[in-house]
Amino acid sequence: MKTIFLVDDSATILLSISNILAKAGYATEKAANGEEALRKFQSGIKVDLLITDLNMPGMNGIELIKEVRKLPAYRFMPILFLTTESQQSRKLEAKAAGASGWIVKPATADELLNTIKLVLR
Amino acid sequence: MDELTSVFIQEGREQLQTMETGLLELEQNPDDRDNINGIFRAAHTIKGASGVIECGFIESFMHKVENVLDRLRNNEISVSADLTGLLLRCCDHLGLLMDVLENGSKEPEDEAKTNGNALQSELAAYTSNAGSPTPPGQVIEAESEVHASGGGVVDTDSWHISVRFGPDVLRGGMDPLSFLHFLASLGEIVALETIPDAIPSAAEMDPESCYLGFEIRLQTRSSKADIERVFDFCRDDCELHILPPNSKVSEYQKLIKELPEDDMRLGEILVRCGALTQTELEEGLLSQKQADQPVSPQNQDASPLQQPLGEILVDHKVVRKEVVDAAVSKQTQISEKKAVEARLIRVQADKLDQLIDLVGELVIAGASTNLLATRSRQSDLIESTSILTRLVENIRDSALQLRMVQIGETFNRFNRVVRDVSREIGKEIDLVITGAETELDKTVVEKIGDPLMHLVRNSMDHGIEAADIREEKGKPRRGRVELKAYHDSGSIVIEVIDDGGGLPRNKILAKAIDRGLVQPGQSLSDQEIINLIWEPGFSTAEQVTNLSGRGVGMDVVRRNIQSLRGNCEVSSTEGEGTTFTIRLPLTLAIIDGFLVGVGKSAYVIPLDMVIECIELKENTADRDFLNLRGEVLPFVRLREMFEMSGTRPPRENIVVVQYAGQKAGIVVDHLMGEFQTVIKPLSSIFRHLRGIGGSTILGSGEVALILDVHALIQRNADLGAREHNFSRPDTTDFNA
Repeated sequence: MKTIFLVDDSATILLSISNILAKAGYATEKAANGEEALRKFQSGIKVDLLITDLNMPGMNGIELIKEVRKLPAYRFMPILFLTTESQQSRKLEAKAAGASGWIVKPATADELLNTIKLVLR
Repeated sequence: MDELTSVFIQEGREQLQTMETGLLELEQNPDDRDNINGIFRAAHTIKGASGVIECGFIESFMHKVENVLDRLRNNEISVSADLTGLLLRCCDHLGLLMDVLENGSKEPEDEAKTNGNALQSELAAYTSNAGSPTPPGQVIEAESEVHASGGGVVDTDSWHISVRFGPDVLRGGMDPLSFLHFLASLGEIVALETIPDAIPSAAEMDPESCYLGFEIRLQTRSSKADIERVFDFCRDDCELHILPPNSKVSEYQKLIKELPEDDMRLGEILVRCGALTQTELEEGLLSQKQADQPVSPQNQDASPLQQPLGEILVDHKVVRKEVVDAAVSKQTQISEKKAVEARLIRVQADKLDQLIDLVGELVIAGASTNLLATRSRQSDLIESTSILTRLVENIRDSALQLRMVQIGETFNRFNRVVRDVSREIGKEIDLVITGAETELDKTVVEKIGDPLMHLVRNSMDHGIEAADIREEKGKPRRGRVELKAYHDSGSIVIEVIDDGGGLPRNKILAKAIDRGLVQPGQSLSDQEIINLIWEPGFSTAEQVTNLSGRGVGMDVVRRNIQSLRGNCEVSSTEGEGTTFTIRLPLTLAIIDGFLVGVGKSAYVIPLDMVIECIELKENTADRDFLNLRGEVLPFVRLREMFEMSGTRPPRENIVVVQYAGQKAGIVVDHLMGEFQTVIKPLSSIFRHLRGIGGSTILGSGEVALILDVHALIQRNADLGAREHNFSRPDTTDFNA
């Protein structure tokens, strides 16, 4: 079973996405902020895909992506970030930091799962 | 209500609180960018989350709020009192909408709707003068822009896709193969040619870079936008050309010219994958030469290959203009507020209560085991139970810690209250908060809000003078109300301090005489006069204003605090201000106690208040104070106080306790040592008993009463004052 790591400071969004993923047969791992997520990565958690929000208090998504990419085990792991249509400029910033792609909020379950299918190997 | 909605409501309320706190701070510091970002983020989170739970009325409302905040964030509009006022009213409205959602209604009542619409139109005023920004999500459709220039139509019904992946695709966590897989899910890949031309010699090859390109024929009913979407994630660093079915030959020519590979070789590849026939290719290459002639000079200078990738992509409408623009203007990343976010787990409060109850039972059971072990005189058993006892103590402390919350959240509510009320009554008042990080039991935090509200409103309404009067008195125009919390020997102290006019002694006394609380001619100390405000019936309609009145007297405030096993005091200097001091026990569940015995009964004194134990000398038998190393120590005899039968033992002990700076002694028969005390409240019929704060169960199963040290000290002082006929000493005089 593929494991997907979700990072978002909104508990509602974490829960709704993990519900969708669980129904689609993915295991999920969750963190509410960048620091917490990074600690889990540093402890060597086994993850097939990271989905992170960009705008979080403390360590934001872009910093998280940069830090995760520095860890050898996760250099080629697909990373998606959650964004909105109004944040075009941040997409490039996140891509430059090492993200693979993005999910535009609000996304339907199909959009979400299709995007995940696209990036998961 | 489903789980998701309840999570949303809790989260939404927290974010709402963040917004409100942020907005209030914004009024003080309009230039704090971090704060504005924080407010925006909170609004944005609520909007996003409300979209997830499909709560349309919150989402659409928050969308408007977010738009305004976004403009504020981008410095397009500036902070003004009107704007923050409006946004605060929006917060109120949002709170209302949350209530609607929580009550399970489909949509708000008409009145709320009207209110919401009014707010939205006010908000619109802040967004209306914006230029018309590109609506989000607008993708420039390339299909309509296909250049219709020259040449015949290529006879094919498949899309042609040329893609050259950028070297960083793999490092970005993407696999070229996954794009192909996904493309295949849109339709059928009729032909596919791999272009390995860019692969360098083995020695120079970087295994982490991607050198591959593909020419793909795809038969699909999807639109160009759908196909482009597949490559969305790599479009910035790959070269992508998509030709719709039945494209003109000239389109293919352009394609060939633009791709990095050799024209002839590429032509062959296109023929091989069935995009073009040999004839079409030859025709095309021929006409290309002709077409090259009339090209304007500047275009000849820069061949398309030397053009920056971005321009090429924009030229061919493959990439949105805004995306490239945004990349060029390297937007400085606004550093996020580095708030140290504690890692949190949400637990339902009743689960915690249940745990604490169980720990309480565990403590009692542990005490009983301990007792039996001691009686058995088996050293092994005693040792192992003592280890167990220590662990139980640790568990108890950790469990109680779970219930502790910071008082800051409660305090922060007052920012809003002070702001609104000071405007309403036309006074200028600042609120200062200190000790917001002080922790206390959640139950206490919940119940302390109302009494605090009353005290703060009281200070604002009666304490702080109007600005002009303040100026006359030589005080700063702006009044100051301070909320302060700190720990002090086993209790938490909350103070409400104002720098207003203080309590007017004469008026209070006059009113008290009027109400029959005091006899005319009775002489009272200043402190006694001030304390009259706590008397039931003192606060009267005369005093009631729309603020502090509310039909609640100070006696109710005091009763509320006493029901939390706390007490409150007031001190005031006329002309300088008033301080209300509330003392509350740290926890309402389990404490460390000190067990003492009188006759056959056992009593518990909260250990935090115990300073020392001394032996009562014979010669003090007829007095109720003694000389403790030069200090006068009044004491109370429990045996007398509780009218216990039986004779005094030959040697009695005094437990010296301290409460709110006062020391006093409690005379008991014997000392039995420390005892973990699970507090069981006394039933309401015992509530009038002074000197007893609760009960607990001993290891033997017997009941012990918990002494209310404050009441004992108070009683002692009162008695002393009456019997010796001198004015009751001020609180500090005990130490003198």
